[in-house]
Amino acid sequence: MNKTININLGGFFFHIDEVAYQKLKRYLASISRSLSDDPQGKNEIIADIEARISELLSEKITDARQVVNEADIEDIIKIMGQPEDYVDAEESYNESSYSYNRNSASSKKLFRDGDDKFLGGVASGIAHYFDIDTIWVRLGLLALFFGAGFGILVYIILWILLPEAKTTAEKLQMEGEPVNIDNIEKKIRKEFNNVSENVSVFANNASEKIKEGASEFSDKMNKTFSAKTKKNNGISDFLDTLGKIILAIFKVIGKFIGIIILFISAAVILSLIIGGFSVGSLEWLNVDGTFLQYPPFFYDAALPIWLLTICMFLLIGIPFLILFILGLRILSSNVQKMNKPTRLTLSGIWFISLLTLIFTGLDFATSHANRGQSTQKHSLAMVASDTLTIKMVNDDAIYYRPNLRRSTYKEEVTVNGEKVVYASNIKVDVRKSESTESSIVIQKISRGKNKNTANLNTTKIIYKYQIINNTVVLDAYFLSAYKNLWKDEEINITFYIPENTLVYFDRSTKNFLHHIENSADIYDKDMAKHHFIMTESTLNCTDCLEEVDEDLDEKTKEETPEKKTKTSTTKTQETI
Amino acid sequence: MKIENTKAQMRKGVLEYCILSILKNGDAYTSEILKTLKSAEMIVVEGTIYPLLTRLKNAGLLTYRWEESTSGPPRKYYVLTENGDLFLKELNKTWSNLINSVNQVTRKKPTTDE
Repeated sequence: MNKTININLGGFFFHIDEVAYQKLKRYLASISRSLSDDPQGKNEIIADIEARISELLSEKITDARQVVNEADIEDIIKIMGQPEDYVDAEESYNESSYSYNRNSASSKKLFRDGDDKFLGGVASGIAHYFDIDTIWVRLGLLALFFGAGFGILVYIILWILLPEAKTTAEKLQMEGEPVNIDNIEKKIRKEFNNVSENVSVFANNASEKIKEGASEFSDKMNKTFSAKTKKNNGISDFLDTLGKIILAIFKVIGKFIGIIILFISAAVILSLIIGGFSVGSLEWLNVDGTFLQYPPFFYDAALPIWLLTICMFLLIGIPFLILFILGLRILSSNVQKMNKPTRLTLSGIWFISLLTLIFTGLDFATSHANRGQSTQKHSLAMVASDTLTIKMVNDDAIYYRPNLRRSTYKEEVTVNGEKVVYASNIKVDVRKSESTESSIVIQKISRGKNKNTANLNTTKIIYKYQIINNTVVLDAYFLSAYKNLWKDEEINITFYIPENTLVYFDRSTKNFLHHIENSADIYDKDMAKHHFIMTESTLNCTDCLEEVDEDLDEKTKEETPEKKTKTSTTKTQETI
Repeated sequence: MKIENTKAQMRKGVLEYCILSILKNGDAYTSEILKTLKSAEMIVVEGTIYPLLTRLKNAGLLTYRWEESTSGPPRKYYVLTENGDLFLKELNKTWSNLINSVNQVTRKKPTTDE
């Protein structure tokens, strides 16, 4: 079964089946191509040939309902002769207008090659002329484009000035082959193959278009045909070329955008893959992950970290994958659009990962909703006029810090093979005791979904201190469960001492003291290394008579002799 | 060298002459010209005639007119012009000279052999 087409051939009406139609069309097109460039004569010849073919066909087709088939067309071609025969007939009468010296070897001419073009076929034309590979010419032109701006100008001028090799003879001349029958035959054979490929593609397109709307299609065909016949006068040819140049510039800009899109999306996808791989593998390989930072809500999440990582990867990766394919499609028309199932699956996966991460994020937010705390109280055996000394120490075995200070920054450390959080958000305060007893109150603060879980979380906080006589040695850090890394945990230490009790802040407490009330409003950091006495209302400094500036001077004075003495002692040791 | 090619070349040279001669006997449309040429085995495929006719027409040796036909669309009838007539006369002379020359050359051979 074959589709049939109605055609008007030389004034006769024919039913012709599709295969035969394509064959006939191809035949006429190749004849038209093999005839030389004189458009007036060419059209006339083609019209005559069409008239003759219709005559021959109408002799064959006696019944108006009969359909012209492929065999009929083959017979016609046998009678009319191959396209080469036309060339042959014509070339022998070709006179001065085109002085093709038959059989004269390789008189090369510079043409644009319309069959092998990126923009206008200038590069391939030059390549044919010098008999080198087109790519070198293109590279050279590119170098000119970027190296010196006038390269583009040169190209455009060449584009306008150089004629495109249209007829077989011109194409042969462009390639420097002698224009003789053998070569023309070869060339036409070659083109026949190309044309037949093109025709099949065209036929597919055409049939699609016919489906869309036959009238639109025929309009278009008319336009293209009329454009083709007009094309032969110089001005319109020039305008045509100009239009092509503008189009090509847009095409180049488009390709440039395509390249940028491609580059960015490829970079993102690559980094995601590398990133995702390292998150997964480093975790498994037990590499110390201090440099790996997860988003806060990855901790204490209901779902495992690897799943969240994959979700994150997909959430960012899929849009860039689509961008990547878009970029590819801009650059090359060969790249197919993604089919529907793929698109649906990708968007489905994307939504699932989005939902998962939203859920986890909400979960994280709610897990922060409530503050909880737990308090421990310990009495201190202190009598009035005793001096309470407060010191702070760090365990360098767990995490080494050169300077002790309060900080909200957390570190991952391993204690007894377990990954825990090392934090130092500790505040130290001293207040007046309501009774005659002294005490130390340790308040641990954490967060949780509700008060209970928040309170429970505080029990995971490990904090130690020692009481040696009248000296309290506090840890400068606390440890907490790894999953509570982002729970804003902190410890408030408050000493309650009765009136007339002295307190001495060791130098190590300097950066932990927090808003301690005192009569002279001394700044927390300046309270270290001083003695205070608890009066009726607040603390009163007993050895802060000097001004702050003098205090600083004193410090430097103190330090320098210390150093000197140290060096001297070492020296003496050495001498000893 | 192919014999077919040589034959074709020989025929081609006189094809113009033949066409003009046919038209001398009366106006003819393409199919008639083709029929005559084909029966005389002057051409093998029909296609070759069309470029030739156009060329002769463009040279002012031929012209054509459209004539209604009983079966189908109007036909193109070719007519010899005055120029064409002169041209044909020249060719007639050339042809008879050529025949003589060729005959002389081809027939001499046996006589020299004798």
